[in-house]
Amino acid sequence: MDSRVITITSGKGGVGKTTTTANLGTALAMQGKKVVVIDGDIGLRNLDAVLGLENHIVYDLVDVVEGQCRLRQALIKDKRQEELYLLPAAQTRDKNAVNSVQMEQLCQQLRQEFDFVLIDSPAGIEQGFRNSIVGADEIIIVANPEMASVRDADRIIGLVEAAGKPEPRLILNRLRAEMVKRGDMMAVTDVLEVLSIDLLGVVPEDEAIIIATNKGEPAVYDKRTRAGRAFTHAAQRILGEEVPLDDLVESTSLLERLRRLMGFGPALGEKPVRSQSS
Amino acid sequence: MGVFEFMAGKKKPSPGEVAKERLKVVLAHDRLKLNPELLELIRGEILSVVSRRLAIDEDQVQVNLAHEGGAEKLLANMPIKREKITFEWDPPSHTPNSNVLHGTVHVDTTDDEQA
Ligand SMILES: Nc1ncnc2c1ncn2[C@@H]1O[C@H](COP(=O)(O)OP(=O)(O)O)[C@@H](O)[C@H]1O
Ligand SMILES: [Mg+2]
Repeated sequence: MDSRVITITSGKGGVGKTTTTANLGTALAMQGKKVVVIDGDIGLRNLDAVLGLENHIVYDLVDVVEGQCRLRQALIKDKRQEELYLLPAAQTRDKNAVNSVQMEQLCQQLRQEFDFVLIDSPAGIEQGFRNSIVGADEIIIVANPEMASVRDADRIIGLVEAAGKPEPRLILNRLRAEMVKRGDMMAVTDVLEVLSIDLLGVVPEDEAIIIATNKGEPAVYDKRTRAGRAFTHAAQRILGEEVPLDDLVESTSLLERLRRLMGFGPALGEKPVRSQSS
Repeated sequence: MGVFEFMAGKKKPSPGEVAKERLKVVLAHDRLKLNPELLELIRGEILSVVSRRLAIDEDQVQVNLAHEGGAEKLLANMPIKREKITFEWDPPSHTPNSNVLHGTVHVDTTDDEQA
């Protein structure tokens, strides 16, 4: 079985990694895939709450790695999706409690059972980040259309390249179409041009995300929400489907440009040479 | 159009455009890991190499990173001293009996300047 290990990372905190992991994981499970989502943020457990599974935790990732329990005992089954599981982070342990070798072995083990292993990376570029990408086949970068987030994303892309991973893809989160229209926010094409990266999806700023998080039910369950639809489309693209972007703000010619940037046409320009040291 | 062209012209850049241009510059530095200390080091090294052949006006030397035409460039500006151009010459080692141990050529250009 060719299972895929995908890490969701960003450099900067608070840009939407956990939200993205929960939504992509749920959406892939809704498409009939067997999925496990791993909370890689040791000490700052979060993914459990976004999925509404916070009251079901007995064992965690560190317990598994240290042999305190078997992997199966630590996996929590989702409330609604039969084929979705969570491996929670330890809440009261040091963030360096796990090393890269252990993390890679864990990924190998999970590959035996799942179609998709999604890893929610912690913020930063330290051990936790390195652990989160060591076993990954693919990397998804989450960024917001603002300076600090894009700058950190560029740094992460360099480190991902240095680790010998294939080129990552971008989820641009919290885009505010009306601000872009006024010229007060960078447009999707601006961010893609600056980062020279392929696009996996654009998720608008949406109250539905906060409501969904409050309820512990990822937004992808509600097809009426724009953010939910955007995450569903991103999941479909992960499965290889060609799904056009929702017309959030860009004009038709820009959409054409985006299609090219997304790999449906000739590439734009050369990749920059990024610093690859930390 | 770059942010500086905007500034020179009539149209004021939007905050989105400003962000994009600023990011381009910041990423150019980040990608090359060019912090001010490293630039200073490069400046000193270039100067020491070039000074062996030319008298450079040390205080005027500028080494900067620029983003031009979609590429990152290192621009070195090294004015040659007006009053003289100095060449130093080491004699070839295969002429052991040569009396010349060291040669320096001064080219005085001060007069040309007045013409
Ligand atoms: N598209 C969005 N619209 C509105 N709020 C969002 C969106 N994406 C994320 N958020 C909110 O931003 C905060 C940070 O998101 P989170 O996924 O926890 O980021 P990270 O895991 O990168 O730290 C959360 O409160 C989340 O609800
Ligand atoms: Mg998080």
